[in-house]
Amino acid sequence: MISFKLNGQTVNVDAPGDTPLLWVVREHLTLKGTKFGCGMGLCGACSMLIDGVSSRTCIMPVQAVANRNITTIEGIGNPQMMSTLQNAWVETDVPQCGYCQSGQIISATALLSQNNNPSDNDIDIAMSGNLCRCGTYPNVKKAIKRAAADLRKGKGRLQVVQVFDPTANASPETQGVQS
Amino acid sequence: MSVTEQKELLTKNKQTLENSSRRNFLKNLGIVGGGLVVGIPLTGCASVQLPNTMDSDLQPNALLQITANNDIYFYLPRSEMGQGVYTGLTTVLAEELDVHPGKIKVKNVGAHDEYANPEYGLQLTGGSNSIRTHFIPLRQMAANVRMVIRQAAAQELQLPLDQIQTDDGMIVANGKKWPYGAFSEVAAHLSLPEETPIKKKSDFKYIGKHSKRLDSVAKSTGSAEFGLDVEFAGLHRAALKRCPVLGGTVKSFDDSKAKSMPGVKAVVSIFNGVAVVADHYYQAKAALPVLDVQWELPETLSDFSSDSTEAGNGKQLFKDALDSDEADNAYQEGNGREALTTSDTVVSAEYWAPYLAHATMEPMNCTAKFTGDQLEIWTGCQNPGVAAKLAAFYGDVAKEDVTVHSTFLGGGFGRRIANDYVAEAVSIAKASGLAVQLIWSREDDTKHDYYRPATMAEFQIGLDKNGNIDSWNVKRSGPNILPYTMDEVADAMMPGFLPDGMVDWISKAGFSLFDGWTVDPTSVEGLFEDYDANHKSADHVTVDPGLPVGFWRSVGHSFSGFFKESMMDEVAILQQQDPVAYRLKHLKHNPRLANTLKLAAEKAGWGKPLPKGHYHGVAVHSSFLSYVTEIAEVSVNNGQINVHKVTCVVDCGLAVNPEIVIQQMESGILFGLTAALYGEITVKDGAVVQSNFHDYPMLRMHESPDIEVVIVESDEAPTGVGEPGLPPIAGAVGNAIFAATGRRLRSLPLKLS
Repeated sequence: MISFKLNGQTVNVDAPGDTPLLWVVREHLTLKGTKFGCGMGLCGACSMLIDGVSSRTCIMPVQAVANRNITTIEGIGNPQMMSTLQNAWVETDVPQCGYCQSGQIISATALLSQNNNPSDNDIDIAMSGNLCRCGTYPNVKKAIKRAAADLRKGKGRLQVVQVFDPTANASPETQGVQS
Repeated sequence: MSVTEQKELLTKNKQTLENSSRRNFLKNLGIVGGGLVVGIPLTGCASVQLPNTMDSDLQPNALLQITANNDIYFYLPRSEMGQGVYTGLTTVLAEELDVHPGKIKVKNVGAHDEYANPEYGLQLTGGSNSIRTHFIPLRQMAANVRMVIRQAAAQELQLPLDQIQTDDGMIVANGKKWPYGAFSEVAAHLSLPEETPIKKKSDFKYIGKHSKRLDSVAKSTGSAEFGLDVEFAGLHRAALKRCPVLGGTVKSFDDSKAKSMPGVKAVVSIFNGVAVVADHYYQAKAALPVLDVQWELPETLSDFSSDSTEAGNGKQLFKDALDSDEADNAYQEGNGREALTTSDTVVSAEYWAPYLAHATMEPMNCTAKFTGDQLEIWTGCQNPGVAAKLAAFYGDVAKEDVTVHSTFLGGGFGRRIANDYVAEAVSIAKASGLAVQLIWSREDDTKHDYYRPATMAEFQIGLDKNGNIDSWNVKRSGPNILPYTMDEVADAMMPGFLPDGMVDWISKAGFSLFDGWTVDPTSVEGLFEDYDANHKSADHVTVDPGLPVGFWRSVGHSFSGFFKESMMDEVAILQQQDPVAYRLKHLKHNPRLANTLKLAAEKAGWGKPLPKGHYHGVAVHSSFLSYVTEIAEVSVNNGQINVHKVTCVVDCGLAVNPEIVIQQMESGILFGLTAALYGEITVKDGAVVQSNFHDYPMLRMHESPDIEVVIVESDEAPTGVGEPGLPPIAGAVGNAIFAATGRRLRSLPLKLS
C-alpha cells in the first residue's frame, strides 16, 4: 500500500511500487485529466505537480512519490471555479485539440508559482518539455503573460482549492481516504 | 448473407483488387456509376433517437433539439480535433437561430447516415471542408427552425407573424419575451418551412465576429473527454503486439509466460497480432515483451530499406520510376511537355520528401464492449460511420447492432480517417469475451501509421526568350493513398455498397478518376496548378514499397507546396529576378493568390533591411480552395537553421471565426515546420526505424517562431483553414536558407550538414 497526497487528500493505493504514477492516477484513482502521450517523459502530456515541481509521471514510479504532494489538473481548478491560468487559457482561446493542455497548464502553474513576471526566455525554458502538436505555443505564451499580469495585480489564484473525493468514482481496488 | 459469407466475398474481392484493374474492383463493389448524392437531410424528420427526447421537444432533424426548458442542443455532425468545428459550426447555426453560440449545448454524436458530410456522403471530417460545406445548409436549417418557432408563437399569442421577433433565444412580441422552449411543443407539430430567407452578411451578429471557442473550458480543466478517458465498471485494458513489418500476420506464438504475468486476463491472436488483456494498461504492456510471436512477413515491404543505395531499393526505386518512360498523364494544357522543344531555356530540378508519421498527441485507442449481440465502441475518429461498419465486420454482428460513442479527438491530421484501431479493439473484445480499451503506445503509433507518402518529383520548366515561363512540366513518382483507403473501406462496406458520395470524396479534385482511372488526385495535387504557363503537363508513375500511406494534413500539398515553391524560386533566381515580382508576373490568372502575396510582401517588409544575418524566403500556395502566402525570416549559424518570424496572409473567403482562422494558420505553420526541419520516417528491412519523440522529434516552444497572420477581408464563401496554412512553410524556409547560404535544399527535412 502506497500513500500520498493527491489534490490535498491522502490516498492509499494498492499497486506495485514500480507502476508509473500516471497510470495509478488514471486507472486506479480514475482521474482522467492527466494524459498519456509517450511513456518516455518526452512530451509532457502526463505532467503533474510533485511538491510544486512539474514532473513527468509516465516514468515516475508510484513508490517514489510516497508521502509527497501531488497536484493534477483537477487540483488546479474546475469548470465552475478556474484558476487564473485556466481563465487566461479560456480568454486567450489556447486549446485546439486540447489533449496536451492539462500538461501545459501544470508546467505554467509551476513557472508562475516561482516567477510572476516571466520573460519570453523564462517561458521557453519552463515550457520546452511540453509538446503541442496543434501548435498552440503562441497562445500558450500569451496566456501565461496574461495570467502573470493578473497575478501581479493580485487577481485570482494559481490553484483553486479542491476537495478530492475518490469514493465518488473510484475503481474497486481504491482504498479509503484519510483526512 | 451471413457475416462469414461476407468475409469470403471480401477476400475474393480483395484478390480481384490485386488481380484486375481497380476500376473493375470498384464496379464489383457497386460504387462506379450512379449520380452524386449531395446534401444532408437537414430539413427531414430525424430518424436518429436523440437522448432524453420528450414530446414537447422541437426536434426538426438529427442535429438540433429545443426542449420545453429552452435547452438548445446541437448534435455536432463533424469531429472536433482541434480545428474548431465545435465552435465554428455552432456559430453558423446560432446566427440564423438567433441565439448566442455560448448558449447552445454542443454534443459529440455517434454514427448515423444523417450526419454525413454533404460533400462526401460519408460521416467524414477531413479535407478542410466542414465550414464550407455546412455554411449554407446549416444556416438554412436554422433559419427554417427559427421561422417555425415564430409561427408557433404567432399561433399561440394570436398575433400576426410580422409582430413576432426574436432576440438571443427569446421570442419578442408586444414588448414581452418568452424563451423559444415555450413554443417548442406547438412548433413540433407545425410543418417546417423549407425556403426561409437567410441573413445578409451585414446582418450577422456572430459570424465573422470574435467569439470564444466553446470547448476551451472543458479543455483547460481536464474535463474534456477523449477516447483514452473512457471508463466504466468491468473495463479491461489491452496492448497489442504487431508485426514490426506492417501487413505481417501471426504464424505462431507462445503465450505461456505472458499469461502468468500480473493482472493478465487473456492473450488472444487477432488478424494482425497478439493482444494481451489485463486489468490495467501497464500490466498489459509489461506482458508484451515476454510474448513470443513468429511472424509471416509481407514480401514486398520486407525487402525495402529507405536508406539502401542498391538498385531497386531505397530512393533509387523512386528515381528509376521517375527516369523511366512510363507515366500516366494527370493533367495537360496547351502542348504540354512537347512545348519544351521550342523553349529558349529549360530549368530542371528533382525534389524529394520522405514518409511522415502523424504523431497526434493522443495515441490511437478504442474501447469495445459486447453485450450479447450488441456492440458498443467508444472512440474519437474522423470517420465514425466507417468505424461502425468496420466494427460490425470484425465483431461479426449486424451493422444495426453497433453503437458508436464519439469523443473529442486528441489530434486528427488525417490519421483518424483510418479506423485500424477500431478493427483491433473489436477483434480483441470478441476473442477475449471482455470489454477492452485498446491503448497504443507512442511506439505503436510511430511504427504503425498510415504515413504521408514519400515522393520524388522532377520539374522541367521551359522559359521564353524574356525569361518568362512558357511551359510547366512535372512528373511525380511515389505511392498512392487511394488503394490503402479502399482496402479499409472495403472491409467496412462489404457486402453492400459505398455511398455515391464516396465517388466524390476520392475524386474530389475533379480529375477523371473513374473515367480514366489513372492518377490518384492526391498524388499530384498542387504540383502544377498555381502559376500561369502557356503549356502544362503533370505526369505520374506509381512506385510503392508497400508501407501503408494515408491522409496527412494537407495531403499531396504537404510535399507539392515545397517542391513547386522551391522550383519557382530557382527559376526566378536563375533569371536574376526578385522572387516576389517574378511570382506576381505569373499569377495573372490567380488574382486571389497574387493578392495574398502582395499583402504579405508589404507586411513582412520584403526587400527592406533585416537584422544582420537574417534573410527572407517566400512561398505561395493554394489548397482546399484557400490562398496563402508565407514569408519566413531565417538565419543560419554553423549549419543551424533558426526560423525567427513567419508572416502569413490567408484568403479563406469569409472568416466565420477570425481567431480560429489565425489559430489554424499558426497550427499549420508549426506542424509544417516540424516536417520541414525534422520530419523523416525511415524504413529498414520493412520495419519503421523511428519510435518515439526522441528519434521523431516535434517542434518545441523555444523553436517556435513569432507568427503574424493577416486575414484578407472577403465576402466570398468560406473555404478551408485546417490545412492550407501548412503547404507554403517548408518552401518559404528553404528559400530563405538559399538567400542566406546560396545552397538550394531539394530534400526534406531541410538539412545543411
